[in-house]
Amino acid sequence: MFLIFALITLVGAVALVLQRNLVVAGLCLVLSFMGVAGLFLLLLNPVAAALQIIVYSGAIVVLLLFVIMLLNEHQEEPAQKARPLQRWVSAAVILVLGAGVVKLVAGSPVLRRLGGGSAPAPPAMTLGGLGDALFSGHLLGFEVAGLLLLAAMVGAVALVKRDL
Amino acid sequence: MTSLTSILSGGLQGYVLVALLLFVIGLGAVLTRRSILVQFMGVELMLNAANVALLAFARFRGGDAQGTVFYLFIIAVAACEAAVGLALVVGLYRHRQTTDTDRADALKQ
Amino acid sequence: MLKLAWLIPVLPLLGAAFHGLLGRRLGKAAVTAVALGCMLVPLALAGLALSAVQAAPGRRIDLPYFEWMAAGSMHVPFGLVLDSLSSVMALVVTGIGTLIHLYSVGYMWEEEGYARYFCYLNLFVFFMLTLVLGSSLPLLFVGWEGVGLCSYLLIGYYFDTEVASAAGLKAFLFNRVGDLGMTMGMMALFAAFGTLTVGEILTRAGHLSPEAGFGVLTFATLMMFVGATGKSAQIPLYLWLPDAMAGPTPVSALIHAATMVTAGIYLICRLAPLFLLTPITLTAVAWVGGATALFAAVIGLFQRDIKKVLAYSTVSQLGYMFLGLGSAGFAAGFLHLFTHAWFKALLFLGAGSVIHAMHHQQDLFRMGGLKAKLPVTFWTMVIATLCIMGFPGTSGFFSKDEILFLAWHKSPALYAMGLLGAACTAFYMWRLMALAFWGEPRDHHAFDHAHESPATMTVPLAVLAVGALLAGLLGLPRIWGGSFAIEGWLEPALSYGRPFIEPSTEGGGAGLAWGLMALSTTVALAAGYIGFRIYRRGPAAEEAFALRFPALYRTLSSKFYVDEAVEACILAPARWGGNLLWKAFDVIIIDGIGVNLPGALTRAAGDVTVLAQTGRVRNYALGMAIGAVLLLWIFLK
Repeated sequence: MFLIFALITLVGAVALVLQRNLVVAGLCLVLSFMGVAGLFLLLLNPVAAALQIIVYSGAIVVLLLFVIMLLNEHQEEPAQKARPLQRWVSAAVILVLGAGVVKLVAGSPVLRRLGGGSAPAPPAMTLGGLGDALFSGHLLGFEVAGLLLLAAMVGAVALVKRDL
Repeated sequence: MTSLTSILSGGLQGYVLVALLLFVIGLGAVLTRRSILVQFMGVELMLNAANVALLAFARFRGGDAQGTVFYLFIIAVAACEAAVGLALVVGLYRHRQTTDTDRADALKQ
Repeated sequence: MLKLAWLIPVLPLLGAAFHGLLGRRLGKAAVTAVALGCMLVPLALAGLALSAVQAAPGRRIDLPYFEWMAAGSMHVPFGLVLDSLSSVMALVVTGIGTLIHLYSVGYMWEEEGYARYFCYLNLFVFFMLTLVLGSSLPLLFVGWEGVGLCSYLLIGYYFDTEVASAAGLKAFLFNRVGDLGMTMGMMALFAAFGTLTVGEILTRAGHLSPEAGFGVLTFATLMMFVGATGKSAQIPLYLWLPDAMAGPTPVSALIHAATMVTAGIYLICRLAPLFLLTPITLTAVAWVGGATALFAAVIGLFQRDIKKVLAYSTVSQLGYMFLGLGSAGFAAGFLHLFTHAWFKALLFLGAGSVIHAMHHQQDLFRMGGLKAKLPVTFWTMVIATLCIMGFPGTSGFFSKDEILFLAWHKSPALYAMGLLGAACTAFYMWRLMALAFWGEPRDHHAFDHAHESPATMTVPLAVLAVGALLAGLLGLPRIWGGSFAIEGWLEPALSYGRPFIEPSTEGGGAGLAWGLMALSTTVALAAGYIGFRIYRRGPAAEEAFALRFPALYRTLSSKFYVDEAVEACILAPARWGGNLLWKAFDVIIIDGIGVNLPGALTRAAGDVTVLAQTGRVRNYALGMAIGAVLLLWIFLK
């Protein structure tokens, strides 16, 4: 199961990078998010999976697609000037990073120790449990997040208004 | 168990690997694509990668709710960032009639 | 009176300060009064000092005031010394100085910088007196440099003309070359004796046996002589004196005839015991002096400018003084200094009177027939001419003859040079007189307007004439029945610290003396008479000579092209070298490589690194990614 969701996530991501059409790219993003939601389920966290689908795929990607439609530019514009240096160096950096990451993860003793499946699986996350934790121990963070959302909203409106 | 088995069977190493690879791919989107919207998508991918890693560690270290709470905050931040960022994209489009970040080089020396 | 001795040099200094600071505002009358006052009082004090010295034991009064420099083992006091030598010299400076100040009042009355002139003149007298009266070599050197400075200031008095400023600079630079010798001499003397006070040096030198002290002592005295050469215009540092005639005529009279140029001779007389210990130096002095005497006299034969003739005459007469000193006749050399001061000052002032009358005409070929128009000037100049040519009985006769007598004993060749120089002297002096005062006037316009000078100018002329005639009494030789009084007077100063050595006069008694005297007198009279006869009716004869022997004439009248040789051999290479250093070294190496290259490199480096500033976010993100990769690699290695 894990392998399936992991592949969905990664393939969606790769497809996103290689896609020319913006709308299709947005849909690939949705696919990737779905994969991630599946991974969350496997991590015994249905709350997170639900939130992932509701907020990320349902709200943020929708907003993104709104803007794409608004600007009405579905294809990426042809480049003003082909810049092979950037492209090739980026590719090199990505490959190096990728290889390094794999090597790191495979060779890390910490992860091996932590990932040793001797401990019994904890209980799945419940919404009640999350709510309890959120409103008791992390109340301040919750309030600040609310303020942050307010600020972002005001800011977004202010940036987009034509005249104040 | 060997690393490969651990990875392929959904152990911690597997999730961390997925997260890191997702992050790298997101970085690739930012570096390689010119359209600002695709770059934004890449940024979202990177955030998600962080989320995956976070929740994977939360589960394999006792499964308390702190991990998920933090995940919630990350979602909140991502939402704000999306709102403001897309507002900026609209603004850029209004000024330059383009969403190509390569054309937004007014700070060039 | 001795308590006031310090006023002798200080009063002219105060006068100079007055003229410099307040002179312009307070007017010519105030300037004149202060200038003359600041000369007359020191003159009186100098006279009193002379009588004090006469009464003093050893005819020497030391007046130390305070310790000036103390560094390690060197202690230089600041004080005056009044001995037989310095008191006479001080009297000469103040006496002739006063007369020239009086003369200048009339000569410079219409000039624009009246106050400036007297400021410099008083300043000069201050420095000259410091030089004369100073008890230590550094103090003497202060005066030495100071008179050089004032000479520069006064030669360049008409600073708005190219000629005068260039001449002033030339004088100063030639003096400087000599000053280098003087400084090295002082250092050598300090190394040898550990002190710079003249009295102490001579005392310590007196304890040396005659054979000791070569090497350092010879070097020191030779260097001192080099300094004297610069100041007293001997070969090869004489080139500035003729150019110095660009200054006002009273300046030429005071500085370049009577006082500053005699500083070299004075220095050697002060250090006479040292020079007596180094016969090599004395020989050098004698030969340089003799050569200069003859060389300058020959150049003077065909000069057209009246002041230039007198300038070369001065150089020549200074050569005679050195010739006397080098023949160990210090008293004789000093006597000639004394007499020369009188008649050369008179000649210059008379020439100034002529120039003034002819409205600044200085060309002899355009003068003539002034005998009747300028009687006082004429008769006083005749007296001076008789002195300089050595007419029997005049002061110049006694001093020059004594020198020639001693020169014969040093080397007959030196006597021959001196004799030839005397002949030339007589010739060119009577040439000057004939062209200026006899014959038909050649410039009628100037001649018609010529008139005798005012009293302030003629009175000094008369006083100087009397002095010129009588000064010889100081040196009445023994064969005439006198006692060569000057020698006895100067003996304590010339032999300070050691027993007196009479200049050797073996090899001929009275007969030789009379013979040489007769020979030189006859030669001089003959040459003078010939000169007078040739030029009585004007320069026609010279012009004919110039046509018959053009190359010879040109060489002589162009001063043997020495100035041109200096220009070609010394100045032009120096300028070329400097140009090369500038273009190659300064511009290319220092400016180009040292200064501009780092700047250009920095700019180039900047031009390269600015390429990273593309303004595109993608590129910056890539940079960050690369940096992150590197960091991770380092930390996780």
